[in-house]
This record gives sequence, C-alpha cells and structure tokens, in this order.
Amino acid sequence: MLLTYVDAIRQALAEEMRRDPAVFLLGEDIGIYGGAFKATAGLVDEFGPLRVVDTPLAESAIVGAAIGAAYTGMRPVVEMQFMDFIACCFNQITNFAAKSHYRWGAPVPMVIRGPVGGGVHGGPFHSQNPEMYFAHTPGLKVVEPATARDAYGLLKSAIRDNNPVLFLEHKYLYRRVKDEIAEDGPATPLGLAAVARPGRDLSVITYGAMVHLAVETAAALAAEGIDAEVLDLRTLAPLDRAGIVATAKKTNKVLILHEDTRTGGIAGEITAILQEEAFDDLDAPILRLTSADTPVPFSPPLEAAFLPSAEGLKAALRRLARY
Amino acid sequence: MSVQPQPPISGAAGLTPRQLTHRLRQMLAIREFERLGEQCFRDGLIRGYYHSYAGQEAVGVGFLNALDLSRDYVVDHYRDHGHCLLLGLDPEQIFAELFGRATGVSKGKGGSMHMYSPERHFLGGDGIVGGGLSVACGVGLALKRRANDPICVCFFGDGALDTGTFHESMNLASLWSVPTLYVCINNLYSMGTRVEDHSSLSQLVDRAQGYGVKTEQVDGQDVFATTAAAERIYQYMRQTKRPYFVEALTYRYQGHGIHDKALNYRTEQEEAQWHSRDPIQLLAAHLITEKILSAQQIEDLRQQIVAELQAKVERAKQAPQPDDAELKQDVLA
Repeated sequence: MLLTYVDAIRQALAEEMRRDPAVFLLGEDIGIYGGAFKATAGLVDEFGPLRVVDTPLAESAIVGAAIGAAYTGMRPVVEMQFMDFIACCFNQITNFAAKSHYRWGAPVPMVIRGPVGGGVHGGPFHSQNPEMYFAHTPGLKVVEPATARDAYGLLKSAIRDNNPVLFLEHKYLYRRVKDEIAEDGPATPLGLAAVARPGRDLSVITYGAMVHLAVETAAALAAEGIDAEVLDLRTLAPLDRAGIVATAKKTNKVLILHEDTRTGGIAGEITAILQEEAFDDLDAPILRLTSADTPVPFSPPLEAAFLPSAEGLKAALRRLARY
Repeated sequence: MSVQPQPPISGAAGLTPRQLTHRLRQMLAIREFERLGEQCFRDGLIRGYYHSYAGQEAVGVGFLNALDLSRDYVVDHYRDHGHCLLLGLDPEQIFAELFGRATGVSKGKGGSMHMYSPERHFLGGDGIVGGGLSVACGVGLALKRRANDPICVCFFGDGALDTGTFHESMNLASLWSVPTLYVCINNLYSMGTRVEDHSSLSQLVDRAQGYGVKTEQVDGQDVFATTAAAERIYQYMRQTKRPYFVEALTYRYQGHGIHDKALNYRTEQEEAQWHSRDPIQLLAAHLITEKILSAQQIEDLRQQIVAELQAKVERAKQAPQPDDAELKQDVLA
C-alpha cells in the first residue's frame, strides 16, 4: 500500500501493538483526538484506552511513567506533541532512561517519538531539532528517518530495541513523501546509514528532510557534470562510522548537511571522524552546510534564510567539486 | 507545626514478640551499618558522597516489612542504604558498591545513591530529587494490569514536594488510579532548608490532597505506627487500586550528607528533642517493659550485629576493583 510518512508511522505502531501486547502508547491527545499530527488516529478504536493512553500536559511525568512501565515489563511508546517540548523531561531521559542500563544493567525499552524540524512556519518553540542533546548522551539511541519506508522500518526496530530510543519525525515530511510499503514488512536495523543516491564525485552526508534537498540538488547538478552521492545517516546514535568513512573513501570529497544549528551539530563530529579515519583519502576540505546559529524564526522569509537552501547547497557543492 | 516530636509509642501493631525482635534487629542493623559506613568514608574506603539513614529507621521498617516482594515493587531516593538492607540485599554487596568494587550491587558504577536489585523488586536508588515519583507512577500503571493486586511504594524526602515532577506525578497517579504509595519522609530539612522555608504549606499532606489522593501523617519515630499504617494502607490500595500519600515525620541524625558537618541550620535543642524519641530506643523500651528482651540482651544483639557487619566490611574490602574494560560495558542494552 502507498503510505505517507505519517501513515507509515501509524502502520508501524499498529503492527507492533498487534504483535506484542507489552507495547502501549502514551502522550497528549493521542486517543480520540488522534495526535496533533494524526500519527495515532484511529488506534484507540482498535486497541482501547488502556493501550492508547491520553495524558495531561506533563512531559516529565509521562516519560518518567514510561520508564517505570519499561522497568516492569512494558514497552511504552511516548508521543511528544512537538519534540521541542522534550526540554520539559530532560532529566527523565538523560539521567533515568539513559543511565539505567549502565548503572544497574536495567534495560529501558522505550521509544519517544514526535515531530521535529522547520519549514512549516512553526516558530521558535515548534520547529527545533533537538537531536544533539540526546546524541551527546551515552545510553540513548537517536533515529531520524527521511522516507516513509524508513519511518516504518526504523520505528519497528526502535520499538523492539531494549534501549531508550529518540525517534525524530520530520514534520515537513509527514504528508509530503510516500512509499509503497507491504503490510507486516521488515524492520530496518538501527545504526546503519543508507545511500540515498549513489555518485562518484563527492558525498553529501545528511539526514531527515535534508536528504530530499540533497537528492534534488544532486539531480540538478548532474546536468553540470557533478555526480553527487547522498548518504542518509538515518541513525545519529549510534552513528554508522563505517558508512561515513566508506562514502568519503569512495568520492574523496565530503559536505555535511543538516537542518540542526551549526555549533555542536553532528557535522562537527563527522568531520572529526573523517579526520581520524579517512584523512589520506580526502582531496578537499570537509564542508558543512547547516542552519544558522539562531533560534528558528517565525517569519517565512527569515525562516527560509535560517534553513539550508537549494541554492546554498549548489554553491557549496560546486565549490567542493572544483578541488 | 505538626512536626514536633510526638508522645511515646504504645501498642504493638499486632506484632508477635519474635516479629518485634526482628524489627529491632533491622533497625539496629541500619544504625550500625551507617555508623560503619561513615567510618569507612573517614578511612578513605568510600569516596564521593554518603547520606546516612540513621534516625529514620522506623519509616523503612514499617513500610517495607509489610510489602510482599513476590509481587510488589519499591522505587527509592538517594538515601537508600537502609532500604536496601530491609529488602534483603547482602550488606557485603552494599559495602562493595560503596567502595566502588566490581562485586557491588551496581558493579561499582552507581555508588551510594544508585543501588538496585531486580530480584528484590528494588528499582533504585537515584540521585536526582523528585525524579522517582514519576517512575513510580509508571510502575503502578504496569502493576495495575497484573492480576495479583501488586502495589508500588515510592520513598522521597520533603524537598521532593517542591519539584514540578511531584505535581505532575500526583495528578497522573490519581487520574490513572494507580496503586502507588508515595511515602514522604519528612525529616524537616530539604538539605539545609527548613520545611517552613521551602514549602508553601507546612502540612505536607495538604499538598497531595489537592489531587484527590488519600493522605495521612504518621509518626515516623514509632515503628508500631508505621507498621499499622502500612498494613492498613496496603490493604486499601490492593482493594481500590488507588494511590496514597503518607507523610512520615522523622529526623535524620547526621547532616544531609557526610560533608554536612556544621548543621548550623538546626539547634542542639531540636536535635536533643528528637534523640529523646529515638525509634530504636522507643522499641527497645517496649521490649524491655514487655519482658521480651532484657537491656543486656539488646546490647548483646547490637554487638552481634556490629560483628557481623564488620565481617562484611572486611570481605568487601577484599573485593576486586573493576577492570578498566568495564568502563565501556553496558552503555547500551
């Protein structure tokens, strides 16, 4: 069946809930309302209010309760209405969930999923990309699919994983991308990048909605004789170091693209990995194209200036190709 | 203020002489464990932090003995050594954890505030005030779905009531109707800040009542009071699957932690007043009056406990340090 990104998420949730009675959902307005973005629409009808649990606006208690349920045999999937709100439960995630296995050997099979990202004029508190707070925290996994197929397959793996997984869904993609997805299809392993577009001349390493910008820009540059490879990271923690090094060794030129702000973004980490593991293979300085080091502005022209653009990416890739 | 010391205890909460002796033994073991632990700290065997439970023994003894650990769970706060002992963790393993050794309760990776035992249904031990309250809500949610009426007990101090998570958790526990008992161990001080100076309401039960949770105050110096309250409350919770909030009035004898020696935030007079209602002395006096044990027998018991614990310390001292390779183990499940 042809599913949008958000339909694929709902499909994965439903199939995992049918497969495993320990899986249950909790979050704000996820029942009758169906979730702010309708990711859980209709699920309460099939699974009932004990497995699709509406919560008050209390992120710290929601995530804490999910951790307690996970300690005692459940597999909770928490919806953050917007991932920006995750700031309210930072302690629960980075201390309790992230460190339970290290300090106690206690697994926390929990997923926290919800929308991230800009491009839909959500303004400063509804457009952010909080992945690096969590990618920086040992003990967490961080996933961000770019396609409907990966949203489906990676969410299945996230729910089956015995670690706390932050599952970041790009809201710009919810209804803009689709894939043909078979019912009860396979789970996609976490921790593996995927080549979204093969190429010979240079590599764009990216994830989330920026994968689509990279693939479209690469297609446009093909007419100029620049054959760009696009590597979709899919998982930010654990990072697919082998996949990153492999594309660098193949094309010898790398640009890292992300929607997250610049300082402390994953581009810096990937740059360091390439210096450590592929220095002799590089024919050009590693470039990065990111959002600006500012909050996400509301005004559409300002938001456009904040985000990486097709023109900015073309210019950067042309510069990289000239080395 | 409700937190003045209460009159002497009376009644035996239906406990047999054998059970009473056992409870005295438990309280003595906690008191002597903490004494030895603090000595180990001063000797350099324990590094970092150390939070003694001395003075608060009757709270844990009442509420933990009444649990059924084949089905019930405990979520604890950072002052966790006493509760570990009551739940049956091996003191040698607790000392080994305090010493940071490989054989410790948490393989030396947690330290004093991070004890854990899945076998004993003990879900920590955690080092950030208030966080466990929401975890206990989720444990209650999971337990409510089990057939054998299990409950969860969550311990925390008076300071935890000031965190946002307390309010979120009370609302959720009541809304979801989960069988979680919230035991606020009110020892009058949130670290060094007195309860009137950190809580807008000095009757802490009032703060939970606003969420439609049944509450009561209990004399935390009186092991009969905590025992009777626990048995009554657990029966109510198993029947109704409702949360409950208890404020146990007690006093910690040491500072907040071992580095808090000055105690210039409280008076000698206040300390003396609470020591005059020492939970161990109160139970011991009852046992002597009832001719269950003599003063000499109690002292013999204490010395026997000290000897046993000292042997545990000696064995824990011999436990291996963790191998460096352990550093990178268990980050992920």
